[in-house]
Amino acid sequence: MNLEIRPLLSALGRNSTGAVLVALQVAITLAVLVNAAWIVSQHIRQIEQPTGLDTRDTFAIEISSLSNRFNIAQAESEDLAYLRSLPGVASATASIGIPLTGYGSENGALWPDPARHGTQVQTNVLDADWQTLSTLGVALLAGRNFRSTEIQPLSDGKPAQPLSEIILTQALAQALFPRSDALGKTVYNSRGNPLTIIGITHNFMGAVCECGVPFYHTALLPEMPGAGGFYAYLVRARPGRLNTILGEAQRHIGASHRDAVIVTTMTLSDAKEGFESDDRNMAIFLSAVTVVMLAVCCLGIFGLMTFNVGSRTRQIGTRRAVGARRHDIVAYFMMENAIILTAGALLGCVLALLLGYWLTAHYSLPRLDLAYLLAGVVLLWLIGQLAAWQPARRAASVPPSVATRTI
Amino acid sequence: MLGYYLRLACKSFRRTPGLTALMVGAIAFGIAACIVTLTVYHTMSGNPIWWKNDVLYAATMDSWDPKSPFDSSHPKLPPDQLTYRDATYLFGSDIPRRKALFTLVGGALSGAPGQPIALSVNTEATTRDFFRMFDVPFEYGGPWSSEADRGPEPVIVLSRAENDRLFGGADSVGRTILWNNLSFRIVGVLDTWYPRPKFYNLTGGGSGDFGIPEAPFVPFRWSTVLHRGPAGAMDCWDSGPGSSYEQLLASTCVWITMWVELPGRAQRERFLEFMNAYWAQQRKQGRFQRPLNNHLWRVSQWLGIHDVVSGDSRLLLDLAFAFLAVCLINTIGVLLAKFLRGAAVSGVRRALGASRRQIFEQHLVEVALLALAGSGLGLLLGALGLQGVHAMYAKGYSDYGAAAHFDPRGVLWALALAAVTTVAAGLYPAWRIGRVSPAVYLKSQ
Repeated sequence: MNLEIRPLLSALGRNSTGAVLVALQVAITLAVLVNAAWIVSQHIRQIEQPTGLDTRDTFAIEISSLSNRFNIAQAESEDLAYLRSLPGVASATASIGIPLTGYGSENGALWPDPARHGTQVQTNVLDADWQTLSTLGVALLAGRNFRSTEIQPLSDGKPAQPLSEIILTQALAQALFPRSDALGKTVYNSRGNPLTIIGITHNFMGAVCECGVPFYHTALLPEMPGAGGFYAYLVRARPGRLNTILGEAQRHIGASHRDAVIVTTMTLSDAKEGFESDDRNMAIFLSAVTVVMLAVCCLGIFGLMTFNVGSRTRQIGTRRAVGARRHDIVAYFMMENAIILTAGALLGCVLALLLGYWLTAHYSLPRLDLAYLLAGVVLLWLIGQLAAWQPARRAASVPPSVATRTI
Repeated sequence: MLGYYLRLACKSFRRTPGLTALMVGAIAFGIAACIVTLTVYHTMSGNPIWWKNDVLYAATMDSWDPKSPFDSSHPKLPPDQLTYRDATYLFGSDIPRRKALFTLVGGALSGAPGQPIALSVNTEATTRDFFRMFDVPFEYGGPWSSEADRGPEPVIVLSRAENDRLFGGADSVGRTILWNNLSFRIVGVLDTWYPRPKFYNLTGGGSGDFGIPEAPFVPFRWSTVLHRGPAGAMDCWDSGPGSSYEQLLASTCVWITMWVELPGRAQRERFLEFMNAYWAQQRKQGRFQRPLNNHLWRVSQWLGIHDVVSGDSRLLLDLAFAFLAVCLINTIGVLLAKFLRGAAVSGVRRALGASRRQIFEQHLVEVALLALAGSGLGLLLGALGLQGVHAMYAKGYSDYGAAAHFDPRGVLWALALAAVTTVAAGLYPAWRIGRVSPAVYLKSQ
């Protein structure tokens, strides 16, 4: 097999328009492919982040009061007693919001320093009682749970006693006290109240929001919710009993209170799906567009190669007439395609890195992993060669007599 | 000549159906991707009340913590809502032509004929000028009177969707309905109204920046009379909302949005002076310890400071343009291939007397036909794409799905762009073929 690079290059140089177009397409496609794949991987990582909650057996009922006649404290104690008495219920609690949704999302800042100077950590706050951890399926790593005597009831206009205990997730504890064990230490809220850390749990997500508070910064406060006129019951059913318990609970609670209304009832697995859906959709969208772009690029290579072959039948015929074998012709065109692809890939690498740098600067994306760049180059190169295979083989079937027939 | 060119173009397409399908397909996909993203982007970044951009202003005062800004990622911005004390004081001014306060309040509608269970609603507690200021259309009736604001009188305005659901779409003006178990009289029913984004309330609470405007509407004073705490976004510093409604009203919490209509520059400056005088007076009493930061924001500025267009949609916009670029480069290449393949025919035409210009025109007609076919198919695919995006995002929390709404202006923009660029892409190949010397192609068979 005789593979002369120089005649190949000079032939390319003379008739470069088609080659330039293919190289440009390859470059842009590579830049987009690599960065889109990178973004999709970030979205997938976000979806795979564990919620830290048991979403299989738990559901929530959000209540809103209609008037001052609705005695929230009484309703909470009655409804929770009812829920906990059901044989299909493992545990039940009341909180300010529904985890994994924006319902009742409440954030505040915590300081390790009593004068509230220096480090300030934003956190998602959930009201809790002694059954909240078991309802959400969250395990304690250190310390203890709230006792039923420590839960502060809803105040009825009298100034509330400041709370003195708090349970944090491990991520929050580490953010507040990076170098020491947080258990037993004191943090301060925006009013300056001291809160002793009595328990540290594994990381879980509360009523999250798109407001820049890290998802795993969750804190539990020992108080009954409802100061704003709305709150949610969180119920963990025994395995397999979720649907029946949900129906019963919704009926009973809906009928019990004339001066309140159920805003929504949802299972935590639905909440999780809603929470993930944006990432999933963006991943699907980006993947679809990238695949179509790849296809268009391939068809472009195929089309242009066909044209190349078609316009050089005389050259091919001449070469065959003076002794080139079929596979020499195929090799020639595949080599030409390879050179174009390589040129396009080089330009594409530069574009991909530039685009990646720009994305990192403007969209706070982590820096592009070069493995993706390498994989993209290899993939595009292989697909590009594959697209040129068929036209190259057709070129090889040009008979040598073509050289003699035309002038 | 045009008819002849069209016939030639059709013949040329039929000669290479695969290649033609490839080109039309590529153009169509490129256009569809652009339509979807341009439409969403246009909807997200548009000003839904642009005709009033010079008269409507959101009023803000910086009542926040002297030790830290309201938004640490935008430290110069004041809170976007007001405290109860500040809102009621500013509302007392006579300077604006119209003025409106509003906040969201939870509740339920019940008592409509044939309604089995209460309908839980996020209610907009506002003042009567809200409707005229924001050009809210009414299907039946109209806003309540200013006496109703003072009372407050038990009057209510329903949205079209609520009226359809509760009264079957009939004219329910004058009928009563229970709001939070209190009897209210319906004075108006809105027509379909869905500004995107929900420019007047971008605090993110309620239905979100792109959600359906909250309804029903009741006079603002019902929230204070019934001691209904805010159900939308509320931000507090210092000692928080306290433990009673009176404490909430006296607190540092911001939960009321205020808009004013100031038709001229003079009024605008007078109202700003009024705000600054109030600020100075309150500062002497110990409030407003942050530097002077009173603002009147136009709708366009309001949209700007709230970062309404998400990073995702801007990214997709750039992606769509890259995609279109690839498709067009592809088109140029394949068109070149196709035209030069049919060079023999052009050679014969030239030999028969056609000028270079006529060859160029003939091929341009072919390109235009391709652009038309590609745009048409692209429009179809784009409409399907928008439906798909809307369905996909329906379950999630982002505003992308709501913005994926068929917007004629966005679509026309995308179509025009794509058609023009396709024709531009075809200029080079058409010119190239015009330059080919016919003799070469006449000699070969």
